[in-house]
Amino acid sequence: MSLTTTRRQLLRTAAVVAPVWVAAPGVLRAQAKPRVVVVGGGPAGTTVAKYVARDSEGKVAVALVEPKESYTTCFYGNLYLGGQRTFDSITHNYVELVRKYGVAHYRDTAVAVDPATKKVRLASGRELAYDRLVVAPGIDIRYDSIDGYSEEAAAVMPHAWQAGEQTALLKAQLEAMEDGGLFILASPPNPYRCPPGPYERASMIAWYFKQHKPKSKILILDAKKQFSKQDLFLEGWNRHYPGMIEWVPEELGGTVEAVDPATMTVVAGGEKHKAAVANIVPAQRAGFIARAAGLANDSGWCPVEPGTFKSKLQPDIFVLGDAAIAADMPKSAFSANSQAKVVAMVIRHELTGSKLFEPRLRNTCWSSITDKDTVKIGANYRPTEAKLEAFDSFVSKVGESDELRAQTRAEADAWYDSIVQDIFA
Amino acid sequence: MSTVGTAAVILSLVAVAAPALAGDPEYGAYLASECFACHPKGQPVGPMPPLHLLPRDYIVQALREYRAGTRDNLAMSLVARNLSDEDIESLADYFQVMSAQLGGR
Repeated sequence: MSLTTTRRQLLRTAAVVAPVWVAAPGVLRAQAKPRVVVVGGGPAGTTVAKYVARDSEGKVAVALVEPKESYTTCFYGNLYLGGQRTFDSITHNYVELVRKYGVAHYRDTAVAVDPATKKVRLASGRELAYDRLVVAPGIDIRYDSIDGYSEEAAAVMPHAWQAGEQTALLKAQLEAMEDGGLFILASPPNPYRCPPGPYERASMIAWYFKQHKPKSKILILDAKKQFSKQDLFLEGWNRHYPGMIEWVPEELGGTVEAVDPATMTVVAGGEKHKAAVANIVPAQRAGFIARAAGLANDSGWCPVEPGTFKSKLQPDIFVLGDAAIAADMPKSAFSANSQAKVVAMVIRHELTGSKLFEPRLRNTCWSSITDKDTVKIGANYRPTEAKLEAFDSFVSKVGESDELRAQTRAEADAWYDSIVQDIFA
Repeated sequence: MSTVGTAAVILSLVAVAAPALAGDPEYGAYLASECFACHPKGQPVGPMPPLHLLPRDYIVQALREYRAGTRDNLAMSLVARNLSDEDIESLADYFQVMSAQLGGR
């Protein structure tokens, strides 16, 4: 599949098409309603599908390839684990996207992409032709990065880093655990989905333990030397859960090297720990289809043009959300939703001639330490040649008042409702 | 210089400062898409108000105060510091139109 083939293909298409266009432009327009195929129904892909379909007002055909009928968000999944949200309240479907904006939802899995002929092959054998392809598959777990870990092992020691069955399994294990048990959380190396996620998870599980299993302990084994909002989390743990949470950084032997699900053993820094419940979050990479389509480099993630999210490796394909290399932007739902609006604008511009504006990119991320102690972090980003550079930012401060923290929690809850509406409705 | 002449000069200066953007509803819609990541489009649910329910002047004033740091919210100040005066006007226009369409306010 060379670029030469692509060019030849284009020339051939142009040669056939041009006389028809001259003779009967109306006919061509009817045949050639531009097609956008979006692979992946998470915050990134779903937002692109909605915004292109809605704002092009029928001028672009939009297909969303997502095998699941409904999507359980990873964000707020920790609040579900802590008992502050129900599973149903963080689960959303694609019905409104289809009904209100005419998006075609294919409940199927993309298995291959041919950038030369511009087709996506689905597991059912169906092929979808595209003018622009959006690949937003999120993450895959690197099962081979920890000895003894595997998809089978994840049924005993869940990663729960892709929401749904895995988060429900972890919750059931926490509920079945006896008071006084040891909960181990293996936190991954950078880069990974949701930088503050592991520490919010530890906080929410501590909140659950404090009420129901107060003799239990939490051990965070970390492959990193430091983490997002570290001062805020450490302050919160000392204040709300004294003595319950221990954090072991990389340099003190935090990196998990091996696990044995049969004996519930976790090995880190040469030391063996026996867990009552083990939540193993390994290293990650771009979802399968991004790698199969030749969109990822040796890092396992997808290089893109900062500012348009066009793949640096394949033509007419956009990659955004967690699968893309978008640093300094973190892999978060807020980032994905923000990127999606830029991608939708660029795609509409290319296919319908709509206006193009300077990309505006932002992340804001709330993390809850209790049910009314929430902190936040955020930044604005601009494209440079090399990356998406953070040029303005904020983070909550240590020692803020209880009132401000409770207000921040109310803000986070309102944000959740709004962003899922912006994505799914 | 007559009043009319002064006004003409000011208008031309504004036109130079923001050639294609001020008063462009497409630009307002693009800017507003940022707001909907947090602000609801329907009824109020919590501290982030539906923006089409706010008076136009209030939106302009609040964004200017967040930008200046005289009104306190870390996330909103981050948003506002990235908005020019023209951006703020475009947003206010957009929400006014949205309000008229949805019959809000």
